[in-house]
Order: sequence, then C-alpha cells, then structure tokens
Amino acid sequence: MGAFYCAVCRQTDFSGKRHIYGKSHQSKLKVVIVKFMEKVKEARRTIKNPQVDKYDCSQHDSKFWCYCCGLEVPKHVTNGNLTVLHGGLLEHMSTREHRTNTHKFWWENKADPKLRDKFIITEEETERFKAEVARALEKFEEKEDTLIKQHAALIRSQEQNRLEILKSVLEPDPEPQSSATEGQHSVEQPTSFAGDWGRSFHSRSGGLVEQPGPSTEEPTHSRWTEPGLGLTFIGYQDSSGSGNVHTGGVPPWLQEDPEEERTEQEIGPSLQDFLKHKEQEKLRKLPPNRVGANFDHSSHTDANWLPSFGRVWNNGRRWQSRHQFREEESKTNRRKRRPDSGGKGPKRQKQLSNGDIPHS
Amino acid sequence: MSLFLPKLSCKKDIDEVIKNVAEKVLVLRFGRDDDSVCMQLDEILSKTSHDLSNMASIYLVDVDKAPIYTRYFDISYIPSTVFFFNGQHMKVDYGSPDHTKFVGSFKTKQDFIDLIEVIYRGAMRGKLIVQSPIDPRNIPKYDLLYHGI
Repeated sequence: MGAFYCAVCRQTDFSGKRHIYGKSHQSKLKVVIVKFMEKVKEARRTIKNPQVDKYDCSQHDSKFWCYCCGLEVPKHVTNGNLTVLHGGLLEHMSTREHRTNTHKFWWENKADPKLRDKFIITEEETERFKAEVARALEKFEEKEDTLIKQHAALIRSQEQNRLEILKSVLEPDPEPQSSATEGQHSVEQPTSFAGDWGRSFHSRSGGLVEQPGPSTEEPTHSRWTEPGLGLTFIGYQDSSGSGNVHTGGVPPWLQEDPEEERTEQEIGPSLQDFLKHKEQEKLRKLPPNRVGANFDHSSHTDANWLPSFGRVWNNGRRWQSRHQFREEESKTNRRKRRPDSGGKGPKRQKQLSNGDIPHS
Repeated sequence: MSLFLPKLSCKKDIDEVIKNVAEKVLVLRFGRDDDSVCMQLDEILSKTSHDLSNMASIYLVDVDKAPIYTRYFDISYIPSTVFFFNGQHMKVDYGSPDHTKFVGSFKTKQDFIDLIEVIYRGAMRGKLIVQSPIDPRNIPKYDLLYHGI
C-alpha cells in the first residue's frame, strides 16, 4: 500500500485500490461527472450552430479543467477580433490524447461506461463543426459590413442636415445688404472695417426701423417674437479701442473721469467717521438699561464736577477739607480778578495738612 | 410713461447711480424716448416701478447721451435693459445669445416682475448669473452680429 493521491476526492489515500469502490469516492465522482457534463452539453449544442462573436478579453479567455487529462484548456477559440464560442472545448475533446485519457479515467475510477462516450467528440462531429464554423464566420462578417454601412449613411445624412441649416441661416443677410447699398450712397460715418456687413446698416441714420432678424421659417410663430415688431438698430458699437462687456474691458463706472475735478481722492467715509461707526456698532450690542446708557457725552463739564478737594493725607472730617478747598478757591478767584496785584499773596493758605486737626 | 421714471443724462450720473444704489436691483433702460418699442417698455417699467420699489430702482438712459456706456455694453438694438446689484453687473440667461442685457420689450408686466424677483433672489444668494423665468416664446428675437472674429 503506497501513498496514492486521488484527484477526484482530492485526498491522499493509503487503502490502495479499495478506495475507488468506496461510497465517498463514487459519490464525488458522480458530482464531478455531472459538472463536467454540463459544459460538454453546452458545447455539443453549438456543433450544429456555432456562434461567432466579436469581443475578446472580457469573457473569451476563460479556461476549463478537463478531469480526464488533468489539464487546463481554453474554452473558446479566438484570433484577436472574433471568437468561436466553445471552440476550444470541442477541439480539445477531439484530440486523440484526450480520448485515451478519458478511457483511462473511466477505467481507473470505475465510472459508468455509458457516459464515457459523451466526453469524446468523434472526427465526423469535428468535421461538421468546422464546416459550420466557416459558414458562421461568413455570415458574421456580412452582418458587420451592413452595420458599418448603416452607420456611414447616418453620419452622412447628419452632415447634410447641418450644412443645410448653415446655408439657410447665412442666406437672408446678403439680401438686405444688397438693397441697402443700392438705396444709400452717402456714407455718414465710415468705419474702419472693410467689407463687413455691419457697414451697410451703419450708413443709415439712426431711427429707421429695419428687419434685423433672420426670416422666420416656422409658420406658427407668435407675433411677439417676429422681428417685424422692429427693434431699432442703432449701429455697430465699435469698442475695439476700449474693452467691451463681452471682451471683459474696464466698466465705465470704474473708470476715472479725466474732466471731472478731483475733489475727493478717497472714496468712502473718512477715518474718523469710520471709527465712530465701529464704536457705535459695539455699543449697540450692550444691554440698553445699563448704567450710564443715556449719558450725554457732548454735554460740557467743567473742572469742578469731581468732588475732590485735593487733600489726600488728611485726618479729620470731610467738610473741613471741603471748607478749606472752598476758601482757597475763592482766594484764587479773587487773585485772578486782580491781576495787577502781582506775585503771589502771602501763603497763608498753604498750611500743612496736619494743621487741620482742630485745636482743642 | 417715460415722464415718471428718473432719467440719467451723463456718464457721471450713471456712475453715481451704479455706485450708490444699495441692496436693490438697479434697472437701466438704454434707448430713446421717442422710439416705439422703448415707449412700450417704459410703460411697463413705470407701471411696475412702484410695486417693485423695495426690490428695484429703475432709471432711463438715452443712448445718444452716454456713448461710452453704449459702447461698453455693445448696445446695437434698443431698447436694451441692463441689470445691476450693488454695483455688480448681473447676467441673465434668457435663452437668447446675449446674457449681458435684455433686448426689446417685455410682453407683460408680470414677466418683468418675475424677472426682477429672480434677479433679486439670485443676487441675495450671491449668484452673478441667473436663469430667466420668462417663457422663451415671449423673449424678442434679434440677430446678434459677431464682429471681430
């Protein structure tokens, strides 16, 4: 008894020839054969009616596993552009090696001999298949040709359509031009554009009603959009010097006027106004019933508003320092009223603060 | 009619109006007062100007008096109506070849009102170009001449 790997069960077996007659092996074998049979059946169906198709890469490179030979075989036959479906399978199954391998497989695994022949494709069948394939290829090519011709016809008709539309749009313009040049000979404002159609319109003075639009082809056109309603044409606006809204020039409202007086170099509010405005914005956010909200900042205050009497290191009562302060103030005022007194008066007032202690 | 709408007669006035009208659509009608289509348009503008006074300010401009503007906006057909918002030129896609101005008159007052409303809403959202709500059948057709190509 050696080590024997059974490809059907995918197991290593040490029981020798006995393994093949076992239940598990036979059931697995049946499954394998059924699966393989599906593929072969599909291929056989195409022997009489081979299918030829276009694409490659997406599906037509797939392979299948031939259990008999133990090889991976390509399923379809392709030459790059066209594929014969299931061609590979049929070709492989018609080879002699495959035949011998199939017989071997059947003998070794003790499978049902009735099914064996289905997995082999005889020479007659291959011959027939090849003939059918040739015919199918021809048909396919014919079909492709007709498709291409259809596409070409479609493209040609579209091209024609476009040319016709273009012609119909260009046609009306030469007509009014010819009538205009016959009518008017005096050119009021000659433009620098030679041979431009705009010129013929430009020669007329403004205010004449003309037919600017193309002649309408639709009979059910509403009256509103008929050019006969007459938008006055005021002449070609030559803006080649300065820019244009279409060409992206500087808009006139952003251009400086050379004739105007430059009264204000700067635009916008002055710096002061701006800062004030900012402050006001901030104030608006504060609660409106806070203290001092209605403080009138513009009211005039003189120096006396603060109740400070100038004494810092005082002991004693407030009224004393206030009294002192008032006396000083009156003295100073008197002194101011008498400017010729000159110099400073006796410094009686200049007592040391300690002197405020009431003398007992 | 055009007696009731304010008129602008020089470049300086137009500049001022463009710079100073704030938070409202500015409608400038470029045309002539004696032209028939302009008169139709002016009628619509004056009748709706009161109702739209919170959203729009309307002014009339004579094309002969401000040639610099006529050239800048390439006004070849009158009347042409140009829209601004906060000093910025607003473009509208009417389905016609030129989005920078409205050429011709409006069919009904409601069309004009709808258009102003759409421009106002678009501008409030920050859009510089909006889609016109007017039925394309009611937009006057004109031939746009391409020059300099």
